[in-house]
Amino acid sequence: MKMSPWVMRIQLGLLLSSSVFVLSGLVFPSLAVADYSASLEQELALDSSDHKQKFEMLFTPEWNIELSDKISMTFIGQVRWDSTKKLSNPEGSHYSAPGSYASANGALYYSDSSEVSIREWYIDTESLGAYWRIGKQQVVWGQADGLKVLDVVNPQSYREFILDDFEDSRIPLWMVNTEIPIGENSNLQILWIPDLTYHAFAEPGTEYEVSSPLFRPALPEGVPLVSFHEDKPSSPIQDSDFGVQYATFYQGWDLTLNYLYHYQDTPILYQQVNTNGVALSSEYERNHLAGFTASNAFGSFTLRTEVGYRSDTYHLMQSQPNQIPAHNGIHRSSEISSVIGLDWQGLEDTMISIQWFQSHLTRHNSNVIRPQNNHIMSLLLKRSFINETWDLEILALHGFDQQDGSVQTKLRYMLESNLSLWVGSDTFYGNKNGLFGQFNNKDRVIFGAEWSF
Amino acid sequence: MSDNPHPSTARAIAKLIVHYPKTQVAISLLLMFTLFMALPMLYKDTRSDAFLADDNPALVYRDKVKEQFGLSDPIVLAVINTSDNGVFNPTSLSLIQWLSDEISSLENINADRVTSLSTENNITGSDDGMDVESFFEPDISTQQEADIVWNKVSDFPLYMGNLVAHDKQATLIVAELLDVKQVEDTYQQILDIVARAPNGKHDEIHVAGEGAIAGYLGSYIDADAQRLNPLAGIIITIIILFAFRRVSTGILSNVIIAASVLMTLSIMALNGIPFFVITNALPVILIGISVADSIHVYSHYFELQAKHPSEDKKELIIQTIEEMWRPITLTTLTTIAGFMGMYFAAYMPPFKYFGLYTAVGVAIAWFYSLVFLPAALAIIQPSASKQMREFAKSNRLDKFSRTMVVLGRISLQYPKVTVGIFSIIIISGIFATSHLVVNEDRIKTFHTSETLYQADAAINAHLNGTNNLDVVIEAKEAEALFEPDHLKKMEALQNFALTLPNVQGATSIVDYLKQMNRSLNGGDKYSYQLPDNKALIAQYFLIYSASSDPTDFDEEVDYDYRIANIKLTLNKGSYVDTQKVVTQLNDYIKARFNNEEITATLSGRVNINYHWIKDLGRSHFVGLAISMFLVWAVSSLLFGSLTAGTFTIIPVSSSILLVYSAMVVLDIDLGIGTSMFASVAIGLGVDFSIHTIDRLRSLYQTHNGDWDLTLQELYPSTGRALFLNYLAIACGFGVLISSKVVPLNNFGTIVVVSVSTSFLASMSFLPALIKLTKPTFISGYQPSEKTISRRWIRIPSIILLVAVAGNALVNQPALASEGEAGKTMRSDNQLPSAGVVIAKINNVDDGEHATRNLTMTLTDKRGKKRVRETIGYRKYFGKEKRTILFYKKPTNVKGTAFLTFDYPDADKDDDQWLYLPALRKVRRISAADRGDYFLGTDFTYEDIKLEGKVDTKDYDFETIRSEVLVQESSPPIQTVVIRGVAKSKLTAKELGYGKTEFWVNVDTWLIAKSNYWDPKGRLLKTLTISDVSRIDGILTRHRMTINNHKTGHTSEFLFSNVDYKAPVSDGLFTKRAMKKGK
Repeated sequence: MKMSPWVMRIQLGLLLSSSVFVLSGLVFPSLAVADYSASLEQELALDSSDHKQKFEMLFTPEWNIELSDKISMTFIGQVRWDSTKKLSNPEGSHYSAPGSYASANGALYYSDSSEVSIREWYIDTESLGAYWRIGKQQVVWGQADGLKVLDVVNPQSYREFILDDFEDSRIPLWMVNTEIPIGENSNLQILWIPDLTYHAFAEPGTEYEVSSPLFRPALPEGVPLVSFHEDKPSSPIQDSDFGVQYATFYQGWDLTLNYLYHYQDTPILYQQVNTNGVALSSEYERNHLAGFTASNAFGSFTLRTEVGYRSDTYHLMQSQPNQIPAHNGIHRSSEISSVIGLDWQGLEDTMISIQWFQSHLTRHNSNVIRPQNNHIMSLLLKRSFINETWDLEILALHGFDQQDGSVQTKLRYMLESNLSLWVGSDTFYGNKNGLFGQFNNKDRVIFGAEWSF
Repeated sequence: MSDNPHPSTARAIAKLIVHYPKTQVAISLLLMFTLFMALPMLYKDTRSDAFLADDNPALVYRDKVKEQFGLSDPIVLAVINTSDNGVFNPTSLSLIQWLSDEISSLENINADRVTSLSTENNITGSDDGMDVESFFEPDISTQQEADIVWNKVSDFPLYMGNLVAHDKQATLIVAELLDVKQVEDTYQQILDIVARAPNGKHDEIHVAGEGAIAGYLGSYIDADAQRLNPLAGIIITIIILFAFRRVSTGILSNVIIAASVLMTLSIMALNGIPFFVITNALPVILIGISVADSIHVYSHYFELQAKHPSEDKKELIIQTIEEMWRPITLTTLTTIAGFMGMYFAAYMPPFKYFGLYTAVGVAIAWFYSLVFLPAALAIIQPSASKQMREFAKSNRLDKFSRTMVVLGRISLQYPKVTVGIFSIIIISGIFATSHLVVNEDRIKTFHTSETLYQADAAINAHLNGTNNLDVVIEAKEAEALFEPDHLKKMEALQNFALTLPNVQGATSIVDYLKQMNRSLNGGDKYSYQLPDNKALIAQYFLIYSASSDPTDFDEEVDYDYRIANIKLTLNKGSYVDTQKVVTQLNDYIKARFNNEEITATLSGRVNINYHWIKDLGRSHFVGLAISMFLVWAVSSLLFGSLTAGTFTIIPVSSSILLVYSAMVVLDIDLGIGTSMFASVAIGLGVDFSIHTIDRLRSLYQTHNGDWDLTLQELYPSTGRALFLNYLAIACGFGVLISSKVVPLNNFGTIVVVSVSTSFLASMSFLPALIKLTKPTFISGYQPSEKTISRRWIRIPSIILLVAVAGNALVNQPALASEGEAGKTMRSDNQLPSAGVVIAKINNVDDGEHATRNLTMTLTDKRGKKRVRETIGYRKYFGKEKRTILFYKKPTNVKGTAFLTFDYPDADKDDDQWLYLPALRKVRRISAADRGDYFLGTDFTYEDIKLEGKVDTKDYDFETIRSEVLVQESSPPIQTVVIRGVAKSKLTAKELGYGKTEFWVNVDTWLIAKSNYWDPKGRLLKTLTISDVSRIDGILTRHRMTINNHKTGHTSEFLFSNVDYKAPVSDGLFTKRAMKKGK
């Protein structure tokens, strides 16, 4: 029997942090300058029948330490506590943390109501003509907001579907991130990611458990599930991800070229039918992602574009009654996806942004549940009032395939420099089988406060 | 029971609304919130000048006079001491000295223009000619010394009555403001000074004057409105809750109220219409009106629901709309007509806009009552209260209905008596109208218990008065005012003015010349007259200026001795008390003063007030006539009968006439507040009669022509709804009665009286009249879709027609009555040209690169502060300038970075990026329109980018004067002032500034202060720069404070650790650096 993973993580975390602190104190006694800040956030969500969906407290301390002229370290921790358990363990059953985390990632301590984790912990340094950031961190690629084509370096937590702040839902990974300046306006970024952590989906029975047939295979009628097998990449070296981004600024255009060789963060659910029933096996698959982004401003408009080609993507197929699923129920194709966004800032204190996301499967057949071409539009409206003491944000997403979507609104008031209050709503509509429509009855109202110090 | 033979249209729309309720509610709310975004753009304008159009000749001329003589509405302090020696005792004199010093040191007070015993000079003859010296020295300690002061002052006629009371008991300290817009703050500061003044035992200090009134009026009325508006909302909510016993009804009504009030204000903001003093009444009025529509919907729906509890509620809602849309639309149209009457008739902008935007608000309430309300009801599907259901079951009536039935029984039983009573009201009202008095007195806006009111009364009792009227004398040629003939004319004019009622004092250079003449002739009383010799007069002025401050006469005469000012003081300020003075002076000037060489023009506060009140009476009655006609025309058309139209306005007419009688009896004048009542009373009152007639027509059909049954049936249902409607409105306006703002209080009282009368008349007089006459517009009514739709089309055309006619009728004479005014005034002499100044400004070295900490302190008008700390770097890459700013504190913005590439080529937009740590993404942003505010501060992006330099492409510059600029906490500096006017309207819009003025330090060629005006010409912002010092040999501005006069918001940029030597790496100006935070 292995040592329980969280005990191991705590030990690892404590060991690493104490040794780094001790070392830094010894090596750079007079130079160490620590800068501490923290935020405390409390958010209450009420669902449409007036019940508490979450009552979450987030405490996020951050240390920035200058170890020397060339070396600095950043540590961001987080404590989360939510007594309602609706998003983690509503039935109060035995609780274990999501299995998609690599052993070196994930929470240091967890229970169904709380979690203590290292959000980010990295060292910045300059050496060999390059800038290095080594440690647990977030890397964001791409130009699109919310709709992800190239922004797949870090996996995501879907415990609140897409409603949580990206900052909080993106799962930071241990990686080596090198940036090499080329000339005055260009930059080459190389990523090596040995951290084998993937998307964390909402736990079964929780509010945002995925139910759409797009992602959850419907078993052929009358066929029992006999076994479930999970297979995860395990070798940090062999199975690590590798990425390169070349960014340049040319004639007013911000351009990037991107390449990522990675395991896709969503497991593929293969169905194998034998005489006794169906055996499901969840496996992660490799993919080559190549893409580019371009953006520029024209008068009050900003154009943002992002295009990605994925060599191998996997999609669920419809199961025919009394038929053995072909190709284990999975269709494989390459995919071209893109986002075109247009921001308009012609009106004072206001931004209106429209994005059109499309994805195209190069190979398709009629049994694939998702359509060959999929389109999503997004509309973002942001406006601030009275010298930015009030902020209003409305984000609407609409999927054309299933005619479903979501509307999120948030009104934030800055009571003091370091204290803000907000109220907002998250609503879904449309087809129950759609990406957004599956949460049609999960509308909620939120109230929150953040205090930073 | 619909009376519409083709119910399809109304029904189809109602169905659409009820079957897709969520969409309707969502659209309504979205519309509402979208518009609310404009709300912050709304700005306040509580100046009394706002009552006249900006281009009104009287106002334009007054402003020119102000500029010429530096006159502004002063704040006046009076020290009153009723003991034997009056204010001429050591303590009081020291107090006057202390007060004068303290007030002079205030930022917004023009220290050169503080007039008091301690600042003014005595003119006496001496061996070498003339002595000009203070009345007293700072440290008076004995009564003898004080007596000497009294002797000196009482021997100087110019000051008696104006500065010092004839009975010794009072003296004034008159302080003029630098910036009238900051008067509220200054008034408060002065009150603070008064609170800690070293008073003697008998000393009383009063603060008054036009400046004080303006300073207090805004906050006084605001405070009142902030109390009243919620109160009105709460009372109305309570009534609705009580009547329908459903929480949702209260909430939905409040949504409609919010939509109507806030959307209207948003639309005002979008159109750049300010919030005037009287706009405070708009929310209260809209609250009353907007809730009336929803009451009718609720009443009908719950009534149906109580009668048919088992029926599908959505179907009941459809029926309600089908039945109620017509009367609701009708009343909305007539209410709009009433308020449009006010719009067309009013000549003062605040009233015009009040009429127009109340009409807009009414239309919004209509839309929300017919679209949002049924949709929301369809979602909630409320049931009628238990009580209502029981009453419906047993055919019993609730209290509201019972009251109405009793009222109906009485009036229908004795129809002739009812008609008789109302006829008496009408006749006495007509008689009373001729006795109405048009009057307005600003000081009476305040409750008599207010200290300001009492101060004004005290000053007017002891001294010449607090109300100013200026007579501006303009001669053709320079030095014409040395001419004895001209001076004699002025003297005669002054003497004539003093014979007019309420004119207590008159001063001009004439009085100074007389005093000088007397002093130089050994103090002989008979020498107190004008010298008869041009050369002598010129000499007097020369002697005076030689022995005193040359600016002493700035208020009385200009530099060229071509323009002079006669200042008249009145002890009463009301229209009735001053109008004779103004008209008689005008007559005198026209007949006996003006000639080829010299002219006189009236100006000053009293003249302005005269101009804005003089047309009030006519405006009121014309407006009333237009409103009445519009309402009559609209209802005639809608009912398809002229008689019906006439019947509709009878109750309203009787109510207005009753109000006139009441005003005459209670001695209430027709003033600003009260004159507004008629349009409101018509707009609201006519609703009752329209509902009554409309309902009677359908009841007549239902009851197959039984008159008695028709009339009886009116009371329990429609009567109940109207009663609730009335209660809501009466309570809404009733709240105004508790107002401390006297005109609002009067206004509220009058509206309540008139609405009550309209309601009673509609429910008793009108049915009684119908019972007696049995008119055919009820019995002969045969609805047909065609005629109805044609009528709906005709209404807008009628409104338009009347609008044009009314506008022509009212506005032409009002504007034409004032002739040409305002002649050119001189500008300054030899100064460096603007081009030279700007070249010097732009040549100031600002270093190849710089590192600095920048602390931004943002303070809102309530004094709440937000602080942001940043580190910024700037570097020139050839001619291209790159700037990056990293936010360090507070935590919620920490990590935010802002990078700009500013290209030398003017046609090339800057490139800008923003890094938001929450998104972890460098975001390309458009080079925000130059006039947009920079990251929540009061600086625009253009201000930030220019960094104190000047861009000649946007403005046409000219040098206007040189000035010694005195600013707090820095030594006076010699500046030249250059003025830039935006080259085009487009540029002005882009920059947000139509005009700027820069005070440029002539030693450093740095801008020390700037004023910015918005494209409409209102002073928008003032930037002051202080703590300038050299760092590494480069002149560095350490503190920049920008004050937004429109919002009251202030941003202070404090630069520290400025370093021009530490190397700044090129790598800092990259996206990578933004992400790394350094």
